[in-house]
Amino acid sequence: MIMRRPTLLLLLAPAVLLAGLLFVLPLFGVMRLSIFDESGFTLGPIAELVNSRVAVVVLERTFVLAASVTAICLILGYPAAYFMSGLKPKTRAYVTYLILLPFWISILIRTYTWIVILGREGIVNKGLGLLGVAPVQVLYTDLAVHIGMVQILLPIVIITCLAAMLDIEKDLMKAARSLGASRSQAFWKVFFPLSVSGAATGGLICFILSLGFFVTPALLGGRRSIIIANLIDLQVHQTLNWGFAAVLATALLAVTLTCLGLFWLVMRRRVEFTGAGLGR
Amino acid sequence: MRRALAVYFVVLTGFLILPLIFLVPISLSESQFLEFPPSSLSLRWYAAFFQDPTWVSAAVLSFRVGIGATAVSLVFGTLASIALVRGDFPGKGVLTAIFIAPLILPTVVLALALYIVFLRWQLVDNVFALTLAHAIVAMPYVVMIVSASLRRFDTTIERAARVLGAGPVKAFMLVTLPYLVPSMFAAGILAFFASFDELIITLFISGGAQTLPVRIWNDLGLKLDPTVPAVAVMLTALSIVGMGIGELIRRRNEQRYQSATPPEA
Repeated sequence: MIMRRPTLLLLLAPAVLLAGLLFVLPLFGVMRLSIFDESGFTLGPIAELVNSRVAVVVLERTFVLAASVTAICLILGYPAAYFMSGLKPKTRAYVTYLILLPFWISILIRTYTWIVILGREGIVNKGLGLLGVAPVQVLYTDLAVHIGMVQILLPIVIITCLAAMLDIEKDLMKAARSLGASRSQAFWKVFFPLSVSGAATGGLICFILSLGFFVTPALLGGRRSIIIANLIDLQVHQTLNWGFAAVLATALLAVTLTCLGLFWLVMRRRVEFTGAGLGR
Repeated sequence: MRRALAVYFVVLTGFLILPLIFLVPISLSESQFLEFPPSSLSLRWYAAFFQDPTWVSAAVLSFRVGIGATAVSLVFGTLASIALVRGDFPGKGVLTAIFIAPLILPTVVLALALYIVFLRWQLVDNVFALTLAHAIVAMPYVVMIVSASLRRFDTTIERAARVLGAGPVKAFMLVTLPYLVPSMFAAGILAFFASFDELIITLFISGGAQTLPVRIWNDLGLKLDPTVPAVAVMLTALSIVGMGIGELIRRRNEQRYQSATPPEA
């Protein structure tokens, strides 16, 4: 079924036009604004970024938060995915729906619910009160931000890990067992290494999405919990410092693309490596 | 070991769906303070939603923009998917990446970018422009789902139609499109909720016009309005029902096309 060039152009034109005008062009616009002003080329905004205490602190906080949320999601998600990979296909399908259920609900609403649960009058503090413990401040702390973000991102990590685990040949484990490996040896020497790339994929997606979080840190964190997306919003709506906002956005974009690029390089090599090992 | 894992899994799943479990009783509370468990039940906050014109107009705007964005992304995305799956041309990989990218790149970057160009083009506070901006965020779902479904399609069926005398467009319309419709429906639902949920871009470019998420967001800055849980429950019910129908139709279609092919000997 060969398509002729005019047909292809006709099919692609609307989407290309839309993405070109409202995605690619605006992104280049932001990058441009971060190195050009009315008088021409300038390194001003970049210098401002490097010299700004606030920006440096917020950037650092963004990375630390993304890294710790990703680590927590992997640690919590991997065993869950492993458990799911051992279920019967039908049971697994139902359980998967359950895991994905919160994923279908607006991030704003899920974050909102955490405000109610973790707040001073919330269920957590009421429970502690019944136990005779003084109310604790969870809302508007980094802990609350972690809870909210993990709840939002965990399903993605679990499902990505699970997909990789389901690709692993069950016979390999059986072979290891029949050759005398103990259950845990078979897991650590055969299953785990084969599942690592899937877990890494999930972790990377989680990390990249964490970098761009906006709602959860703004609502669950304190004033000192804002991350880069919130800072960009502040620059645009309060400080009206557009060049600075553009530099921040460009930095965020660059980091995201670098992560994706590095990941692509590593994964490609891994595929070549395992492909060669299997004699394909 | 297996049992310990099972217990762990149940606890974790509980954590994931915890907010959903709490939402319903909170929304039914009589009190104007958000309390759990509620001391007395009532539907007053649901009524409050429908009586407040600002909530209603926010919902109307969300539906308008959501339906528009779904239509645009569904048509544009499906056409592009056909070209991406069936066609062979240079730059296919790059183009696919561009269509998928809004899903993974930080939305705030796109929001700022759109704000800058929309100010120049005087499109801030323009419902039509807002709809197109939402379509950008919704299109990745369409491209991913429709092209995956198209890739699974057995092209010999379409070829059979061609051999029997149908032209390429007719063969596609009568054979392939009916197969694609359920995944397009599922993609459309995802696209709709992607738009319905979109907050940051709307905050930047809507020029003060409020969609539901923006209305909720503005409310949260001031006080904890008990109407919000009622809205949240209605939205959640809407998305669960919508996604459920989409998934059901998709699965029925898959089974239909599976049983249509004769079992292999």
